[in-house]
Amino acid sequence: MMKFIIRRLLSLIPTMFIIITLSFFLIHIAPGGPFSGEKKLPPHVLANILKKYHMDEPLGAQYLRYLNDVILHFDLGPSYRYEDQSVNGLISATMPRSIFLGFVSLLLSVALGGAAGIISALRQNKWQDYLSMSVAVIGISVPLFVIGPVIQLIFAMQLHWLPVTGWINSRAGWVTLIMPAVTLAFPYFAYIARLSRGSVLEVLRSDYIRTARAKGLKESVVIGKHVLKGAMLPVVSYLGPAFAGIITGSIVVETVFQIPGVGRIFVQSALNRDYTLIMGDIITYSAVLVFANFLVDVIYGFLDPRIAYK
Amino acid sequence: MKRVLIILFALMAVGGLVAQDFIMNNNTEPQSLDPSLIQGVPEHHIYMSLFEGLVINDPKTAHALPGVAEKWSTSPDGMTLTFNLRHNAKWSDGHPVTAQDFVYGWLRTLDPDTGAQYAYMIGMVVKGANDFNSFAPDKNKSDADNKAAKEALRAAVGVVAKDNYTLVVTLSSPAPYAIDMMAHYAFSPEPKWAIDKYGSEWIKPGKFIGDGPFVLKEWAPQDHIKVVKSNTYWDARNVHLKSITFLPIEDNKVAYNKFENGEIDWDYGVPLDLLDQIKLRADYQVAPEVGTYYFIFNTKRAPVDNVLVRKALSMAVDKKTLVDKITKGGQVVADTITPDMPPYKAPAGNPYNVAEAKKLLAQAGYPDGKGFPPLTIIYNTSDAHKKICEYVQAQWKDNLGIDVSLQNVEWKTFLAQRSQQHDFQVARAGWIGDYLDPQTFLDMFESDSGNNDGQYTNAKYDNLVKNDLKEKSPQREKTMAEAEKMLIHDDQAIMPIYFYVSQSMIDTRKWGGWFNNPLDIHNWKFIYKK
Amino acid sequence: MATNAVNEFNQQVKPVSLWADAWKRLRKNRMSLFGLWVVGIYFLVALAAPILPLYDYTEQNLNHVNLPPSLKPAGVVAVAQEQKAIDQITDLVKNQGRADLQPNLDQKIAEMAQLQASLAADPTSNNVYIFGTDYLGRDMLSRVIYGGRISMMIGLVGTITAVLVGIIIGAIAGYAGGRLDNFLMRFVDIMYGLPYMLIVIILMSMVPQGTNSTVVLFVAIALVSWLTIARVVRGQIISLKNSEFVEAARSMGAGTGRIIFRHLLPNTLGVIIIFSTLQMPSFIMNESFLSFLGLGVSAPAASWGTLVSEGVQGMELYPWRLLVPAIAMTLFLFAMNFLGDGLRDALDPQSKNRA
Repeated sequence: MMKFIIRRLLSLIPTMFIIITLSFFLIHIAPGGPFSGEKKLPPHVLANILKKYHMDEPLGAQYLRYLNDVILHFDLGPSYRYEDQSVNGLISATMPRSIFLGFVSLLLSVALGGAAGIISALRQNKWQDYLSMSVAVIGISVPLFVIGPVIQLIFAMQLHWLPVTGWINSRAGWVTLIMPAVTLAFPYFAYIARLSRGSVLEVLRSDYIRTARAKGLKESVVIGKHVLKGAMLPVVSYLGPAFAGIITGSIVVETVFQIPGVGRIFVQSALNRDYTLIMGDIITYSAVLVFANFLVDVIYGFLDPRIAYK
Repeated sequence: MKRVLIILFALMAVGGLVAQDFIMNNNTEPQSLDPSLIQGVPEHHIYMSLFEGLVINDPKTAHALPGVAEKWSTSPDGMTLTFNLRHNAKWSDGHPVTAQDFVYGWLRTLDPDTGAQYAYMIGMVVKGANDFNSFAPDKNKSDADNKAAKEALRAAVGVVAKDNYTLVVTLSSPAPYAIDMMAHYAFSPEPKWAIDKYGSEWIKPGKFIGDGPFVLKEWAPQDHIKVVKSNTYWDARNVHLKSITFLPIEDNKVAYNKFENGEIDWDYGVPLDLLDQIKLRADYQVAPEVGTYYFIFNTKRAPVDNVLVRKALSMAVDKKTLVDKITKGGQVVADTITPDMPPYKAPAGNPYNVAEAKKLLAQAGYPDGKGFPPLTIIYNTSDAHKKICEYVQAQWKDNLGIDVSLQNVEWKTFLAQRSQQHDFQVARAGWIGDYLDPQTFLDMFESDSGNNDGQYTNAKYDNLVKNDLKEKSPQREKTMAEAEKMLIHDDQAIMPIYFYVSQSMIDTRKWGGWFNNPLDIHNWKFIYKK
Repeated sequence: MATNAVNEFNQQVKPVSLWADAWKRLRKNRMSLFGLWVVGIYFLVALAAPILPLYDYTEQNLNHVNLPPSLKPAGVVAVAQEQKAIDQITDLVKNQGRADLQPNLDQKIAEMAQLQASLAADPTSNNVYIFGTDYLGRDMLSRVIYGGRISMMIGLVGTITAVLVGIIIGAIAGYAGGRLDNFLMRFVDIMYGLPYMLIVIILMSMVPQGTNSTVVLFVAIALVSWLTIARVVRGQIISLKNSEFVEAARSMGAGTGRIIFRHLLPNTLGVIIIFSTLQMPSFIMNESFLSFLGLGVSAPAASWGTLVSEGVQGMELYPWRLLVPAIAMTLFLFAMNFLGDGLRDALDPQSKNRA
């Protein structure tokens, strides 16, 4: 097991390297550049700017310079769009907010989604099942950009219970977290509820559960110990990418509730062709992602004794 | 829970009543706060609170009012401007604001190493500015020679501090709009000692030094920027706001919701889909703006390389219905590229006339649209552009019988396609004037202009637009009108659609000193709570 | 071949009747039957749209802008709507001191006069828009139906490619294990990590103008849609590949392909079906994001995704512009989900022998 973990960890390095390299060149292929705008810059002004950021050098040289800065100095460079900010500074300022919101939403969705899924599986084709699955289907079929504004319309504009937008450091404080966290949790709740319902049903029919029951174990023990553990697998393999997605922020939720998180700058940097900031985002996101997937693989081993790592 | 909320709202309500704290939605995170690096409207809002140039914009007319310069004079030939600075203007660290600070600021903006985008603004009017800004070291020469060459160019820029409080500016041509332009951030003074000490960090809270009515207090990227009243500002007695908070809300619906709930005091740009209700509100402000929305014809691509086709297309769109039913914000139908800018009088364009349009199309060889080649309009993705393009598409179909398709693309791809590769037939465009003079619109259609996306070439037009700068009013206006007639009537290089209006949500019954003006510039020092 | 009916792990008992059997079970499940009906009707309407008596979905009528759903003729609804606006402004001008709105009022009154004049002459004022109209006075009903054509196709094509590619990659990785598994899964990681938005932008810029953008759209969707399902399938296969029934099959000499496709995959079918129905909405919505980048349907055509995102913008004033496409879409997705559930139960190899 230990050997597997170490080997798996080492394989993250080439993965990251390939992602960085491919992204770097892809970004420069995309049409348009960071300094184009409705009013075109005079050529000599553009030349000055390109020179300032070493963008007048050949792409290969830029790539090596970038690798050198990132690997040796851990410096992601200056943002081309937000000229007074470094990419390191921007990401470290915005990332914690997204992580925090993401964690709250994830906890919410795992707890509620898991419970809803298990209850519907145990009460298959009863009203509890239909109710929670209907909520879940709404959760996945109504997009966030509808759920968010509708929640905002009801609770901020109509009932005036909550401020329209804000973040926990604003005057309104912690209550500002309620609407974005619920909105962000909704689709994840739905996914988890659906997935866990399905896998609990699956596990309930398997032979080892039948054996456990046959042995005369109490139903609560069977469910709590055997069913849940076996049923977690698909949920866990979904959670890897979901985790990476949820903590690196959602553009929709961050836009609708004006959360100064990393999700918004992720999308905007791509639209702005802010090369260094996109690269910084990609590196952050894929680091979280490959690590999350690594964790998932390790958790597999613990959850399911049938999996043997060779 | 409910009680907690009630208390919370009571607190928020009280918070809202604390006098003279102003919250605005600035639409986006500023690209920079450094006057040499900034560009764009959101940055300008913040700039006006933190810095003050030689002149500032009058809140009602947007023309120049004294700023750091107490008075100024123009030489008889119109080529030299002399500014007398007031002696009591101070930086926020107590240093006096001197003519040298202006020289330093302008030259820093022009220095090629700074990479300033708006360096060209100085280059447009100040002698020697473009030469210095275009300096590139010669690889065949020694570093010392290069340095000497650069210093020579630096010294040749037409801005000189005659003494601490006298600034002499030599222009490259007698541009009548030069004084008004001095209110632009490209012409800001800068504190050399702070920049030498902190480098690019000098505009961060704690290190910041400015000469404007406010100083930088907090800057949480993507969250908010807060500035508070400056004690050292020369006219601090007449500054009423205690603080201004700038929020970077990009979604105009979210911002509008926030305004409606009383969480912000000024929001510019409104959600188009709610305009039917919004325009009935007392706190909705709308004013003509110096800007034009138009379609560009690519004059090098069939079928719009044919002037008859261009005219037919332009005359087949009922723009009145478009502004009444689609844009709805009080926009004004445009048949010319230049909006109303007295004393200039724009020539007549080609107005809506279906019968004439059909005739022209038949003359071009496509009677009733028969045999008309495929035509595509490209636009950058946005709800408003989409609606306008859909409408124009239907108009051309109904009035001329031709089928055109629409293609939306994301902004940077759009720019690459339209402005660099010129790979389009018809494209949407919008242009906001940089200053109050028709020149800001007309010079982009010169053959060698970088902004001539439709590749319009007409030597006569080029001549007229270059010559008008040397002329005096009223001959100058005549020359410009002659040029514009060529552009929008005879050659129909573009299809003007409407003149922009600025749309803001601010309750002027509550806030004084905020007036509609043609450049939509509102200096903070005038704003007060009634 | 094993013939022992008691052995629940061996689904080879009645190989021929697998589908017939499943169909029998599906028919017994009322919810999934309902799902099947709804989906069937949707497809029928989508296919028959060109011959249905619908207004042209691109036809604009600026006299009929933003009309609410109604069974009355459009002219009547428009006049009523205009009158409401006039009353509102009159009230503001007369009673609330908003003399500045007089020009608005004059404009509305002029519009009203023009509208009433056109009532008799204009045959379109007899149009009936049961689902209302949009910002250019186009019929919401026909826009939703035509929007459904593209959205349903995207949902299905996306799901099918995702499932096929995902299953194959996931099953191979999970079953083979070791180096191959590691390689494939790192490839999946890399695909996750690359900036999807930029890839789409590049993809579009490389496609020559005039290419059918729907094809590019499917490529763009297929590119990344299989990643998660591959990981999920792989996880399932890993946990199943050492179970007794696989050992049994292997000891009987079944080949790798047979073990994967006949033994392992049917046992992961439940999760696969749930996942496919789960992903379908995200494909449909993804299209509206891609159309932001310029990929997908071009205006004036619309998809459910673009209709919904437009509807949100004006939901306070024109709720039907959001509700009509949102309900149409949600109902379809509901039906797909129930159908998926039914299929899962029907195809479940374990429930089979219990029937």
